[in-house]
Amino acid sequence: MQLVFDNLPFLLKGAGYTLLLTIVSMFFGLIIGLSVAIARLKGNPPIRWIARFYVSVIRGTPLLVQIVIIYYGLVDYGITLGSLTAAYIALSVNAGAYLSETFRGAILSVPKGQLEAAYSTGMTPWQAMRRIVLPQAMRIAIPPMGNTFIGMLKETSLVSVITVSELLRQAQLLIAQYYQYMPFYLGIGVMYWIMSTGLAFILERFERRLAKAY
Amino acid sequence: MIKRKFAMVTITALAVFGLVLSACGGNSDSGTTAANELEQIKKAGVIKVGTMGTYPPYTFLNDKKEVDGFDPDIAKEIAKRLGVTAEFTTQDFSGLIPSLQAEKFDIVISQVTITDERKKQIDFTDSYITNNVKIIVNTKNTDITKLEDFKGKTIGVGLGTNDETYLRTEVLPKVGDFKIKTYDDVITSLKDLDAGRIDATINNLYALKPIVDENGFQIKAVGEPIKSDMAGVALRQDNAELRDAMNKALADMKADGTYDTLFKKWFNETPAK
Repeated sequence: MQLVFDNLPFLLKGAGYTLLLTIVSMFFGLIIGLSVAIARLKGNPPIRWIARFYVSVIRGTPLLVQIVIIYYGLVDYGITLGSLTAAYIALSVNAGAYLSETFRGAILSVPKGQLEAAYSTGMTPWQAMRRIVLPQAMRIAIPPMGNTFIGMLKETSLVSVITVSELLRQAQLLIAQYYQYMPFYLGIGVMYWIMSTGLAFILERFERRLAKAY
Repeated sequence: MIKRKFAMVTITALAVFGLVLSACGGNSDSGTTAANELEQIKKAGVIKVGTMGTYPPYTFLNDKKEVDGFDPDIAKEIAKRLGVTAEFTTQDFSGLIPSLQAEKFDIVISQVTITDERKKQIDFTDSYITNNVKIIVNTKNTDITKLEDFKGKTIGVGLGTNDETYLRTEVLPKVGDFKIKTYDDVITSLKDLDAGRIDATINNLYALKPIVDENGFQIKAVGEPIKSDMAGVALRQDNAELRDAMNKALADMKADGTYDTLFKKWFNETPAK
C-alpha cells in the first residue's frame, strides 16, 4: 500500500486524464445526442434513417472496437489522429448514441398539450422546442444521463489500448515497474469509485435545482 | 438526520476499504505451491503455455489460426520430451506474468528476457535464444541513428517488456527527456511508427522482417545493436523439478540438432554459437 502512496502523483495524473476524457466526451456527447434525438423526432425520412443507423451501429458494437477502428483503422485511409484526439472522438460518438435515446425518450414524455399550447401562443416549432419542451425534457433526462456519465467515466479505461495514459494505464505502468498488482489495482479502484461518487453527487444537485421550478 | 447517517455509512465504508487495502501491502507469499508440478503436468498429460501470439516470427497465429512460431515450436519440443502435449493460451505481454503467477499457465514462452528484476518474481530456464536489439525508425526518418537522438522525441515500446524497463531506467536518465508511449503488442507499436505517430521504437530484426514483408510497413533498423537480450522459458518459483526437466530438454535439443533445425526454419540462418 505504501507503494500506492509513493506513486500517488503519478496515479493522480492518470485520474486527471480520466476526468478530462469524461468531461470532454460528455460535452460533445450531449451535443451529438441532442441533435440526433431531434433528428429522429423531427427530421425528414432520410435524416431519420441516418440517425437510426448511427444509433444502431454504435450501440451494437463494443466501445473497444470503435476506439481501435478510429485510432488504428483510419490510418489505412490516411487519417492519422493523435491518441487523445482519437479517444475524444470515439468516446463522444459513443456517448452521443446512448444519450440520443435518453433525450428522445425524455422529449416524447413531455405531454403533447404543452407543444400545442406553445403553438397557440404563436411560437415557431423551434421556439416551442427550445423554450417549452426541452426544459421539461431535461429534468426527466437527468437520471438516465447520470448512468451514461458514470458509465463513461469507467469506460475511459478502454482508451489505455491506444496509449492514452489515463488512470488504468498509469497503474499498469507502475505494475510493470514494481511487479505488484493488488495494491495498484485496488488503489485505482478506489479512485474510480471516488470520482463516480463525486459525479453522482453533482448530478443529484443539478437535478434538485431543475426540480425547483415544479 | 438522514443525511448525517448516510455520511457515517460512507465514512465507515471508506475506512473498511482502507483497512482491506493496507492489509494487501505485504508481499504475496508463494509458499503454497504444490509439491511437484512436474508430476502434476505429467499426470495431466498437458502443459499449459502462455504466449503473446502477436509477435511473428516468435509467436503468432498461422494461416490455420493456430499458435505458431519459434517460441511455440520450442514449447512443443519441450512438451514432447516431457512426454506431454502443449496447450497454448494467448494474452497481452503485460498480462502473461500475472497469469503465470495466478496459475493460469504452467510456463510462459514469449521472448521473456531473463532479468534480475524478473527473477525476484518468477524463475527461468536457461536461455534458448539471444536477440540483438536495434533502434527502429520510419524509412523517411533520418535524424535518429543512435540512442542519444531520442532526446525530445516520442518512443514507443511494449508495456511491461524488458525494453520498457531499459528505456525508463537506463536510456532516459542518460539521454535526457523523451516521451515513452506504451503498447499492448509489437504490431501496434510498429503500425504507429509506420503512421508517424511515434518517432522510434526498439526491437530486434527477426521480429521486424515478417511484419515488413507482409504489411509493407515503411520502417527500418538503424545503427549498431544497443543491447542483446537472452530469453528463457518463464515458470513459477520453487519449481526446481520442472525447471531442471525443461533445461534438460533444451540441452538435449541443442545436442541432437533439433534446435538448429527449428532456428533455421524460422530465422533462415544457423544460430550463432
